[in-house]
Parts: sequence; structure tokens; C-alpha cells
Amino acid sequence: FVSYQVEILDWKTKEQLCFLDKVEPNATIREIRLMFHKLYPRWYPARQSIKLDPKGKSLRDEEILQHLPVGTTATLYFKDLGPQIGWTTVFLIEYTGPLFIYFLFYFRMPFVYGLDERFTSSPHPVVNLACICHSFHYIKRLIETVFVHRFSHGTMPLRNIVKNCLYYWGFAAWLAYYINHPLYTPPSYGKKQINFAVIMFLLCEAGNFSIHVALSDLRRNGSKTRKIPYPTKNPFTWLFFFVSCPNYTYEVGTWISFTIMTQCVPVGLFTLLCFIQMTIWAKDKHCTYLREFKDYPSLRMPIIPFLL
Amino acid sequence: LQNPDIAITDNVLHFRAQGHGAKGDNIYEFQIEFLEPVEPKPVCRVTQRQLNITVQKKESNWWERLTKQEKRPLFLAPDFDRWLDESDAEMELKEKEEEKINKMKIESRVPKDPFKHLKKGYLIMYNLVQFLGFSWIFVNMTVRLFILGKDSFYDTFHTIADMMYFCQALAVMEIMNSLIGLVRSPLLPAVMQIFGRNFILFVVLGSLEEMQSKPVVFFIFYFWSIIEIFRYPYYMLSCIGIEWKPLTWLRYTAWIPLYPLGGLAEAVCIVQSIPIFSETGKFSLGLPNPLNVTIQFSFLLQVYLIALFLGVFVNFRHLYKQRKHHLGPKKRKMK
Repeated sequence: FVSYQVEILDWKTKEQLCFLDKVEPNATIREIRLMFHKLYPRWYPARQSIKLDPKGKSLRDEEILQHLPVGTTATLYFKDLGPQIGWTTVFLIEYTGPLFIYFLFYFRMPFVYGLDERFTSSPHPVVNLACICHSFHYIKRLIETVFVHRFSHGTMPLRNIVKNCLYYWGFAAWLAYYINHPLYTPPSYGKKQINFAVIMFLLCEAGNFSIHVALSDLRRNGSKTRKIPYPTKNPFTWLFFFVSCPNYTYEVGTWISFTIMTQCVPVGLFTLLCFIQMTIWAKDKHCTYLREFKDYPSLRMPIIPFLL
Repeated sequence: LQNPDIAITDNVLHFRAQGHGAKGDNIYEFQIEFLEPVEPKPVCRVTQRQLNITVQKKESNWWERLTKQEKRPLFLAPDFDRWLDESDAEMELKEKEEEKINKMKIESRVPKDPFKHLKKGYLIMYNLVQFLGFSWIFVNMTVRLFILGKDSFYDTFHTIADMMYFCQALAVMEIMNSLIGLVRSPLLPAVMQIFGRNFILFVVLGSLEEMQSKPVVFFIFYFWSIIEIFRYPYYMLSCIGIEWKPLTWLRYTAWIPLYPLGGLAEAVCIVQSIPIFSETGKFSLGLPNPLNVTIQFSFLLQVYLIALFLGVFVNFRHLYKQRKHHLGPKKRKMK
């Protein structure tokens, strides 16, 4: 039985931050993080990036010390990731904002459209429909965050939340302003356009939800390894034959349908930005899949079947 | 190290040798079963302190780990100096590819292009036409300045605008030239400059009669034309392959006062135009409309103003780097 010694150096200055004596060989990185945290209470485990090489990747919590390519005196490098916030917390804050902000405009709070229009309601049924759809979308997202999603990384840097909230909340306010405006003009093709949009909206929301459930089932037993998602009996998941990230495809579809429903340029702009952002994420994910799995289905494109 | 016995059978490296170690002379041996098939002939090099065994993979790809077994052998430690991650290797590959591309570029400068003379001719003509156009503008404005003095400011637009429209519209060709690779300069600064200038010329000045009789127009046109009468002849000569040192110096120095001044004149122009656009509602869209959006052109101009300052600042640094690169350290010593 050999007990290990672990020294942890700062990744930049290489100064020794701590020296752990008598570490068990089968200690996990998680345990090492906890020990480091005891010495430096400021740096809680989620904030610690522990690596073998100053420029290397952060070690996962589950890695075991004796399986790492280190001698009995291990040298590890520490990098401070900055204040962290949990993904669930972030999503809850990000999605609750637009939900309530939209209501401020829907119910025409006096500070929005002036005192004359306060608390009035719109004569157009599509405005009520839009409110229902928008709220439904964000309530669904909140439910998924709490019950469905399984995150591979527990946290993200704190400054991201400011950036993300500005984006979601800002756009929600901007598009809600125009949809609920007293001078709002309903869609040019009337009921046909609205009905088409509603059906497309519901289909895409159902699709998006199905994909999220399917993805979360892949990690049912709490494993953090990546697996290839495959179509199931649910017809909405059959998009997996053609696309790596059908959840993004459906999401873009939802917003396109909302644009058609409201016929509002700010919504269109938001849809465009969502599309660009999700295409970037989808391409990333697609590349990761291709790298990790040799037998990855070749028919699949990142986000749009056959095209993108 | 004596009598090394190294062999690979069935993807397993067998090592056996006699060596002098910390505990005296002993026989050392180990075995490593590789994750994937490897070439059966290892290359060995022996030095005083160590023995290097190089084993080649049968297939060139990334291995998740070295050994077939999941647990890493205790005696095995990676040499991070030689560690190649996918990302590292991509960097190395990129560097190698860049070297290859550079070599190819150097080779491709040797003319094997049948259209080379045609392209040169076109570029020379383009630069000549622009030079003549801007010279006409510059000379015209200078003469009128001498004759009329300050009064020439007020109808600069009426006399000069047509030629300026022509030159700036033609300047869009510069974007094409950069895009199709006819010219080696980068695309983005050219796009930014052409877009910026044409926006001022066609949108802000062109659409508002009131702006056209303002004195700032004189300064904008004057600064633009002075920079161009140095830039275009320099390009013309470099197409032919001649370099006239004074012209080079002018081309890479005149912009230092002129470019910020031009930017300032453009900014003044925009600031003056904002109230007019507000009042007349030109290019603006109000509710109700079927797109359900309001566009306030005066607001967009204010945003553009910020972008203008950022753009001038960024471009200034780019031009300064370019200047250092082209004029070289000798010139600095002369000063």
C-alpha cells in the first residue's frame, strides 16, 4: 500500500498552492477538490479546474489518482474558473424573466404605453393567442429545466448570466412591446395565417419536448458519458434520422411559427439570431459526435436535414 | 543497458533487457498490449541513459488511451513535451499546411497565369480612372477655394457630387477585386471603407437637400480626395512594378492626419443630419404598419456614429501596422 503525495501548483505562476500528504491511491479528483477547498475556502470545488498539464483539459471528478499518468508524487495544476452558478439556476432565472416581462406588456402596465392605454385589452384575438403561446413556451422550458434536462457540466461562470439575461429579457420586452401595442396590425392573411402558425407551433413544441425527453433518457442512470441518440417509437424523434440536434431544429421551427403568427419584425429578428446561435451549437455538437463515434450515421446533418 | 530483446507480436510489445539500475544488475522486462493494431517492426535507438522505442500505428487516428486494458500501467507516464492532443496536432497540421501554402504562393508568383497581363491591365486602368477622377475633384475644389474663398463651401455638392458619385460607385469594384483575389489586400477594411463612405454620400447627403449646402460637405470631399490622390497612383505603379519612394512614403503617411480628420468630418455631417431625419421622418417607419415594427432612422444614425468612431479607431491601428510593415525601420532612423 503506497500512499500518494499531491502537490497543486498555480497553472500560471507555478507557485505551490498546497501539498497534500498521505493521499489514498484510489482517491478521486472530486475528493482532491474537496481537500483543496478546505485549505482555500474561497475556491469551492465547482470553481476549481484541476489539470495534469498547465495548458491541458480539466480533469473530471470521477478520475482516480492512481489511474492517472503520475508518479507517487503527483503534480497537478489549478486554475480558478471564477464564480460559478449552477445550470439549473441560470435557466430558471433566464426563462422566468421573459414570462413575466411579456405579461407587463400584455396587461398594458401604465408605464409601457402611457396612462391612456393602461390596462386596456387588444381587440385582436391573435394578441391573446400570442400571449398564450409565448407563455406556454417559457413554462414548458421551465418544466423541462426542473424535470427533464440532465446537464453534463454542473456550473457555468457567473458573468454569463448577466449576458444571457440581457439577451432573453431584452428581446422578450422588445417583441412584447410591438405585439401588445394598441396600434398592432394583425397578420395580412388573417385566420389562415394564424391557424397555420398555431398548428406549426404545437407540432414544433411537441417535437422539441420529445427530443428533450429522448436525450434525457440516454442518461437515465446518471452516467455522464455521451451516447448516440437514436429515433424511438415517437414519430417526432424520427428527425434523428436526418439531424444531429433535432431539438434545435424544432426550436427554430417554434420561433418561425411565432413570427408567422404575429407578423412582427422584432420576432423575426429574434428568430434569426436564435437560428444563427443554434446552428453554431449544432455544428459543434455534430463535430463532437463525429469525433467520438466512428460509426456515426452519415446521413445526419447538424441542424437542417440535408442542408446545414 | 545490454542485450535488449524487443519484439512486437499480436500488437503486444515485449521488452526484455539486462541493465544496471539502482539495485545493481538485473533483468528488466515489461509488456504493453496496444489499443489498436500497430506495425510489427519497432525502431529502437539506444543512448547512454535511455532506450527509445518508436512504434507506428497501423491506422493513423487518435487513440483514447495507449493500452488495450482500461487501467493505465503504473510504470507508464506520458512525456508531455512530446504529447500530441488532437488540438495540438491540429495546430501543428495547420502550421504545416500554412507552410505548404506559403511555399505554393511563392511558387505561384512565377507567372503561369494566361490572364496575368489582362488582370494587370484592368487594375492599372481602374486605378488610373480613379486617380483622374479624384484629381479632378481635388483640383476643382482647390481652384474654387482660391477664387471664391469660403463661399465655395456652400455649393461644393452641386459642382462636385456627380464626379464623386461616379468615383465612389466605381470604388465598389475594389470589393470585387479583393473578393475574387485579384488584389492581395484584405476584404473587411475595404468593405468597411466603401460602405461607410457610400452611406454618407448616397444616403445622408444624397437624400437630404438641406445637408447638401452645408460647409461640412467641402471638408468631407476634400479629405477623401487628398487621401485617394496618393493611394491610387501608388497602386498603379506597384502594378507595373515601379516603386517611387516619395510616393510610397506619402501614401503611408498622409493618412495619419487625413483619416481621422475625414472621420471627424463624417461624424459632424451625421450629427447635423440627425435632427433633419427626425423632423422629416425620412427612412423611418411608424406604427401602425403590417410589419409591426418602428424604425427611427435618427436612432440608427446615432448607433452608426458610435460604430464610426470604433471603426476609425480599429482601422487606424491596422493602417499603422501596415505602415510599419511597408516603410520599415530605416525610415524611423531617418526621422
